[in-house]
Amino acid sequence: MNARWLFAALVLALAAPVGAQEKPLLRWGGDKNGGAPYIFETADGKATGFEVEFAEYLARELGRTPQFVQNNWDNLPDLLKRGDIDVVLNGYEFTKERHDDTPSTVPYYVYSLRLIARQNEPDIFSWSDLGRQNEPKKVGVLRGSASQRYLEGRFGNKVRLEGSETVTEMLDLVQAGQVDLTVQDAPAAAYYVTPERYPGLKVVDEPAGYGYYVLLTRPDDAELREKLNTAIRKAVASGWLKQLYQKYGLWNPAQQRLSYLAGQPWPDAAAEFATDEAGYAPPAPPTLSGILDKLFVAAGYTILLAVASFPIAMFIGLVVALGRVYGPWPVRVLFTAYVEVLRGTPLLLQLFVIFYLPSQLSKIDGWEWMSALTLHKWAAAIIGLALNYSANEAENYRAGLMAVPKGQMEAALALGFTKWAALRYVILPQAVRIVIPPVTNDFIALFKDTAVCSTVMIVELTGLYYAYKVYPNLVLELALAVGLLYLLMSYPTAVLARWFERRLALTKEGGAR
Amino acid sequence: MIRVTNLVKAHGQTSILNGATLEVAKGQVAALVGPSGSGKSTLLRCVNGLEAFQEGEIAVGDSLKLTGGSAPPKATLLALRRTVGMVFQQFNLFPHMTALKNVMSGPVHALGKPEAEAETTAKALLARVGLADKHDAKPAQLSGGQQQRVAIARALAVNPAAILFDEPTSALDPKMSAEVMRVIDDLADDAALQVAMVIVTHDLAAVRRIADVVHVLGSGKVKFSGPPDEAFAPNGPAADLL
Repeated sequence: MNARWLFAALVLALAAPVGAQEKPLLRWGGDKNGGAPYIFETADGKATGFEVEFAEYLARELGRTPQFVQNNWDNLPDLLKRGDIDVVLNGYEFTKERHDDTPSTVPYYVYSLRLIARQNEPDIFSWSDLGRQNEPKKVGVLRGSASQRYLEGRFGNKVRLEGSETVTEMLDLVQAGQVDLTVQDAPAAAYYVTPERYPGLKVVDEPAGYGYYVLLTRPDDAELREKLNTAIRKAVASGWLKQLYQKYGLWNPAQQRLSYLAGQPWPDAAAEFATDEAGYAPPAPPTLSGILDKLFVAAGYTILLAVASFPIAMFIGLVVALGRVYGPWPVRVLFTAYVEVLRGTPLLLQLFVIFYLPSQLSKIDGWEWMSALTLHKWAAAIIGLALNYSANEAENYRAGLMAVPKGQMEAALALGFTKWAALRYVILPQAVRIVIPPVTNDFIALFKDTAVCSTVMIVELTGLYYAYKVYPNLVLELALAVGLLYLLMSYPTAVLARWFERRLALTKEGGAR
Repeated sequence: MIRVTNLVKAHGQTSILNGATLEVAKGQVAALVGPSGSGKSTLLRCVNGLEAFQEGEIAVGDSLKLTGGSAPPKATLLALRRTVGMVFQQFNLFPHMTALKNVMSGPVHALGKPEAEAETTAKALLARVGLADKHDAKPAQLSGGQQQRVAIARALAVNPAAILFDEPTSALDPKMSAEVMRVIDDLADDAALQVAMVIVTHDLAAVRRIADVVHVLGSGKVKFSGPPDEAFAPNGPAADLL
């Protein structure tokens, strides 16, 4: 009898936590990278931020367990549509097009855009100054963000937009002088632009470009959406949200609008608030034909990057391969290390090191000289690609050199060639023929790898795709257009290479031509 | 012209040459014969500086000297190779060049002669080896025998004092072998040419026909040096090779 009671108690003890876990999950997606004050990590690695607390509140109201899913900010809606998360909750602005694609909840925050400049900025003292410059200012934005759209719509070609993936990355670039100004959402500006965090930066003029942060849901999740709307309206009415925003220093009079909106039909009410003080209304979403010129410029950048960096890579690769095959041992050791380091680390990381590291290191006392190594983005991109690919090319050439029969070198030496002349006239011409296919392969791969240059603010094809894929009406045709352009670059290269191969062939069939 | 003295050469533990000594006079046609693995080819490659050796000495002409156990200066090697040409078993023509460019390659790239002059010489040499109509053929378009004849013309083009033939016909069928041998015969008979020739070959009939001197190798040494009649006489030093 005692044993049976004990057993029952055990079952209950085990069942209780299992029962708690069975509460359904509310998987919410966000990006904590450079994400303060929305979602970020404290020094001890705990996720915090006003959206973390808000997600916990919503899950509590819905009787669910919150689960944070980390992902790149600009891919969050894709993740939602795939079904990996239930909602997107990360400073996503309401737009009509986005609402049609992934329906939004009622807003939980009224955001505005802030213009951020260096303390010593000589020309820009207001938003409208941006439109008065003879030489367009370089203005940084988060790729695909509301600030990008706002600047494009209001200033067009009067500003030069530079895209980054995180807020802090861009603030670093502005402080280092690589970008002139940046436009960020007010919460991020309030958090970062302080004497402690970014002493070199200041906020310029009044807020502009008001809009709403909303949660995104899947179209068929109407029930979830309704529950979320109820919970958000409750948080507004009860003052819970006001307390939350006050805690993070984000409360301002504009938030009072949330109370009004909570009582209005959504999203119809959003239209009432479509213009800001400057009388500026958000533009219609771009179309493919509208950004065609940008698309061709981006394609030109892709070609330029590949065509500029590959010859450098080939030259370095050739020197390294010759050193490895025919050089004395210290050269062999050095060049082997060169190849292994560059081949064994990601291109993206190498590019980051070349572009961002010198300006970061120059902030350290005694390392100020590093600022001399701060490269222009084009120099950084071309050097980065060339160095990375030089390791591959070195291996290609090494294989080609070793594939030339030993008797060729002996025959040349026996004729009285110097070693250098033998390499120049006998070995290399044959090695080059052998390596045409792998080198072509690398050249084509390089066209596609230029995509990483979007991380150093060069808007080549993939960068352009990232910048515009936030428009649901555009995403499919843009993806197809970008893919087609890449193909139009790589296929002719492949055809040309096959032609060279046949022309230079050493076999009977080729030689007969 | 070429004097090899007490040459010792080993690959690790395997001894290949063990005190080989021989001399080749100016304009002389010498044959190196001996069983497979007796070190004939190795000896030839040592003379051209393509292989290092441990002991002994190789002297070419009056001033060029290779000494066992030490790496020769680059200038010596270069001068030596411009004095002593080589024809290989596998021809080793440069496959990316036409026959004409192959023959011109030595004069142009090694001796720095003007293209026009090199071309005139090369055309004459190709005619001499019977390939006047193959100037523009790539090696892959030529038969083995034709390739070896181009290789001989190429070796002659740098005007060497001696040519070393390393089994020039053993990669060829009998017909092509004969056509190459005819060229070598022709060179050997040309009294005006004044090129010393050292031939490593298993074609003993050819040796009897053209050699002034036969050197018989065995156990890493030169066992006999003398006229072909003596070498191949019944019970002579090379009789067992017949």
